Amino acid sequence: MMASDDGSAKVLAGGQSLVPMMNFRMASPSRLVDINAITELDYIKADGNAIRIGALARHNQILGSDLVRERCGVLAQAYGHVAHHTVRNRGTLAGNSCHADPASEMPAVLLTLDATFHIDGSNPRSVAASDFFLGMYTTAVGGNEYLREIEIPMLAAGRRGYFDEISMRQGDFAICGVAAVMTIRNGVCSNARIAYCGIAEHQFRLTEAEQWLEGRAANAATALACADLAASSVQPGGDVKASSEYRRHLVRVLTGRVLETVFNESGLERT
Amino acid sequence: MADTNARRWVGKSILRKEDPKLLAGKAKFVDDIQLPRMCHAATVSSIYAHARILAVRSDAAKALPGVIAVVTGAEAAKLSGPLPSRANPTVTQRCLAVDKVRYVGEPVVAVVAETRAIAEDAAALVEVDYEELPVVADMDAALQTRGDAILHPERGDTNVYTVVHRKWGEVDAAFANAAHIVKKVFRWPRVSAQPIETVGAVVEYEPATQHFFFYSNMSQQMIASGGLAAALKVRPSQLSFVPMYVGGSFGGKVGVYHVAILTAILARICCRPVKFMEDRLEHLLNGNQHGSDRRYVAELAIDASGVFTGLRCDVVDDYGAYFHLALGSHGNAVAQITGPYRMTAVDYKVTAVATNKTQQGPYRGFGGEVANFVLERLVDAASRELKADPIELRRRNFLRPDAFPYTTPTGNLYDSGDYNGVLDKAMRMAKIEEWKARKAKQRGNSKRLGIGVATVCERSVMNVTEFWFFEDKPLNPVSSSPESVSIRIDVQGVPIVTIYAPCWGNSPETLAAQLTAEHLCVDPSTIVVNYAGTDGGMLSKGPAGSRFTVMLAGAIEGACQALLAKIKAVAAHRWSCNEEDVEIDERGVFMAAGDGHVMTFAQVAEASYLYRLNFPKGDRFTTGLAAAYTYDHPCATLPDPKTGDLGIFYPIVGHACHLVLVEVDTELATVRILDYVAVHDVGQVVNPMTMDGQIRGGIAQGIGTVLLEKYEFDESGQALTGSLADYLIPTACEVPDIRVSHFTTPSPLTSLGIKGGGEGGRLASCPAITSAIDDALEDEGIFISELPVTPTRLFELLRATASNRAIDESPEVPEPLTAVEHH
Amino acid sequence: MSEKLLVSLEVNGEVVEHETEPRTLLSTFIRDGLGLTGTHVGCEHGICGACTVVLNGVTVRSCLTFAVQANGGKLKTVEGLLRRDGSLHPLQKKFAEHHALQCGFCTPGMLMTCEEICRNKPAATREEIREGISGNLCRCTGYQTIVNAVADYLENPHG
Repeated sequence: MMASDDGSAKVLAGGQSLVPMMNFRMASPSRLVDINAITELDYIKADGNAIRIGALARHNQILGSDLVRERCGVLAQAYGHVAHHTVRNRGTLAGNSCHADPASEMPAVLLTLDATFHIDGSNPRSVAASDFFLGMYTTAVGGNEYLREIEIPMLAAGRRGYFDEISMRQGDFAICGVAAVMTIRNGVCSNARIAYCGIAEHQFRLTEAEQWLEGRAANAATALACADLAASSVQPGGDVKASSEYRRHLVRVLTGRVLETVFNESGLERT
Repeated sequence: MADTNARRWVGKSILRKEDPKLLAGKAKFVDDIQLPRMCHAATVSSIYAHARILAVRSDAAKALPGVIAVVTGAEAAKLSGPLPSRANPTVTQRCLAVDKVRYVGEPVVAVVAETRAIAEDAAALVEVDYEELPVVADMDAALQTRGDAILHPERGDTNVYTVVHRKWGEVDAAFANAAHIVKKVFRWPRVSAQPIETVGAVVEYEPATQHFFFYSNMSQQMIASGGLAAALKVRPSQLSFVPMYVGGSFGGKVGVYHVAILTAILARICCRPVKFMEDRLEHLLNGNQHGSDRRYVAELAIDASGVFTGLRCDVVDDYGAYFHLALGSHGNAVAQITGPYRMTAVDYKVTAVATNKTQQGPYRGFGGEVANFVLERLVDAASRELKADPIELRRRNFLRPDAFPYTTPTGNLYDSGDYNGVLDKAMRMAKIEEWKARKAKQRGNSKRLGIGVATVCERSVMNVTEFWFFEDKPLNPVSSSPESVSIRIDVQGVPIVTIYAPCWGNSPETLAAQLTAEHLCVDPSTIVVNYAGTDGGMLSKGPAGSRFTVMLAGAIEGACQALLAKIKAVAAHRWSCNEEDVEIDERGVFMAAGDGHVMTFAQVAEASYLYRLNFPKGDRFTTGLAAAYTYDHPCATLPDPKTGDLGIFYPIVGHACHLVLVEVDTELATVRILDYVAVHDVGQVVNPMTMDGQIRGGIAQGIGTVLLEKYEFDESGQALTGSLADYLIPTACEVPDIRVSHFTTPSPLTSLGIKGGGEGGRLASCPAITSAIDDALEDEGIFISELPVTPTRLFELLRATASNRAIDESPEVPEPLTAVEHH
Repeated sequence: MSEKLLVSLEVNGEVVEHETEPRTLLSTFIRDGLGLTGTHVGCEHGICGACTVVLNGVTVRSCLTFAVQANGGKLKTVEGLLRRDGSLHPLQKKFAEHHALQCGFCTPGMLMTCEEICRNKPAATREEIREGISGNLCRCTGYQTIVNAVADYLENPHG
């Protein structure tokens, strides 16, 4: 159905992002393909060392999933900051990812989890998270394609993460959000992932900080220094909700707090 | 004055009569109206803030199946005159823009179709050619602009609507002799009510009788129908309003704006019922309901003993593209310009300017909340500069209980009060010493505590002179503000109360029942309350300016006295006794001598309705048991242009003390309210449960004003807050539990001593919360003078103090502040 | 626009069939199609929560759901909270007792949200209730009395 279209067709899953834009007439897809009846896409399952999340899995299902909580706790923890219960009842992780609102929390978390996005259509392919979020409301999913599945590696032993954000009100998108996942063995960081939402055109990983953390001691001094590095590396945008300088400040404070939490082993490997 | 304790029903938290149907989803709001053959309207709105309309092309829209009519501004202007305006010279506003658009969102073309969706489809096909004009995006630009940037050139080559400068008392001497002068610049943000129901109307036009039937959530229908009829070029008798439940107003639905007029002419053009509901975007951008948007240069003169001797305010107010209510909100602001303090001298200057934004309308406080904020902030600034305790400084300047009735410098009257009584109670409830100890413990931590105080007056029971007393030549110097009720006791003895203002979230049915029950000594649950629209015929101004409960109480007392006189006459005739010997209490009607003569209301009613010939001829025994009463303002006077005295127009004056404990996270620059105490004097409380609800709701709105809300525009006049994801109304997580209590000084002027209390929560909360924030940051010397205190703003203040760049965030005032005045 | 589709669903315990365009929102369908005007529309962009209904056991924003998506489902609106005899549900009674409504416009959506909270979290704390209703805006009450009503209902579910 999508392939036969002129390219402005849209997939409708939860509708929590697309339908408001349609109601405002900011989006007028030529065709809307509702996948809600394709129950085969409604799954959260373990597959080897990965969690596979189908296009129809709702936020609340993921949030409530024992598998997610036990094997990828940071994802469940971050959900505490996502929207409101009723929106999470309907909204999907796949739809949220495809909408790619730059202030949305989950893309940042998926970046730190090295998720893989499985896209279907004329050219089925798999895209790494770092290649998926391309810009404001823009992802690797093309006009005649849809996101079938998000594959998230389970956190390996010793690997843990945390998410924190500041939003204007409960449930609002982040004006600055920080996700961090890393391996800590013998008090030393390795293979760190740090990603941000709400401060730029799209969510992104801060590789300077990630590399800097490699081999460093997981302690308060490291957290502070990394926070400074992060704050001096980012170029946050300013808008009606928060200034660029305030966002830079939040990058420093939240990066420090998130890293401390991860270092203190209260970061979420398992809850 | 009757003893409060002796009251039967007034003062009790009885359950609301409104609730069962609202809870069941059965109450009818305007969008619930479905009429046979009803069609739907949508509008094409301006995408420019300021532009000439060159051409409208609507062929494609008209050709769309299901489209019934496409109406341009020029076409609408043939059927309707300008919207009512109180300004003189008038500022012409039309329901659809003609020739020129003056803000983003201004309606330009209307489309009527079989469904709303088709109407929106068609609206998207309408093409409008514009020629852009220079945009006046803020008040400073407005003060300087000329030529094509003038919004209303017919009023002169200026964007200044009007300048008023008044002085009362020896104000220049007060400042010349002051030991201290505290001077600050304040910026009050453009915010608004944003009720969850937008504005809408369903109108049916009957061509045979040229009659319009309105289903609308516009309030003040009786009063407004004159202006609306004029705009529709018909007589008021050709309009009928059907009362509807209203999904919140807070001032936002007061008055005649484009929705009612436009819907009416569309119904006339189509000869079919038309529904037009604003969508949320329209209500945000185009609702004619943004509140005050002011900058103050304000000064307080203080003598050597810490006594306030004079107040100066130089205000610029950004009214937006039109000037519907003229300086009404400044009339309101001067009702209690000196607050609860003894001060005899005031200098007040206001410069009202036009910018390319939607115009102002009332929002809970109607400008008075801004004046309260400014005065309380000045007092806090004074306490800091004088190193005085903010609470003690207030006490030193309070009017004493023996000062009432008190005449303010401008000529308004305060009826009663005991400000120390209110403050003492609030401090006891807050356990202020415990708060102080908690604050001391947190000192120096990144999370600080701050204690805020505000002691403000709560003017209530408006009289309408505030809308015109600043005008040199008032267009329409009305001075009546009536409220009516009719009560009949039916043949079975059931009191049926008819009121003439719709329910907009206040509790008119409950209050009417409670007040009637008080006078008639019956259980309020047995009383029926219904609404009449304009066809009911009695005058009503409805809820506005915290007037409704007091005015309703006056009307009910009047009607009940007439009913009781009739009941006594009937009983006295039956028992052949004197009327003075007949008494009424909860047992019924009885003879005071106590010889066993008792009648129920039903028996009296039956006699009155059915047995006319058992009574003497004459007016005293007319058939039936009914009374109607129109009550007007209990204590208002006209202004005196010779002396500059503004007269009495807001004399029922309550008071409130709010104490707030906040936590400021200096690292994240965020604010959290930890505890909140609000003590109000609203005179006799009719229903504590609903009164407290009003207070809490007003405080929640104040939290929005202080911490979250503001309409933002860019330099081209485009709105940056065009959805509820950007214009941030507090959620349940931003509003804490609030402890509310009362300290009562009954009004000597009103029925049962009631004062109005509908706005007090918002009138007091803004300065109190702000005060708490800068108390938390006293070590940094931060003083807040601009709202909202968003995290970004707080971050900037903290950063500035950290680098010692400033300790006061007073907004810059461009020099010189000289307006291009119009003459 | 496009041809109409037949939507068949159970509404408040009753099977209903009604034709509608594919683009019709569930909120419009409920109000204009089914005549159940207790469900209110406040913002049409999913922020205010006034249009909240229960679809297949969970709350949804009916303004962000298309009517055709409810086909074959079970829908509950505020009218469906009432007892068979038309009397108020105990939660609705708690709303009245605690003055949890003023204008009543947000109330139907708020009730549906609160009913879900009570089903999902019978031991919800005040903070959890607050968070649970934070997706429903009320401009009248300041929310405190709504929290009171829900907390009281959870303690005394039968009145």
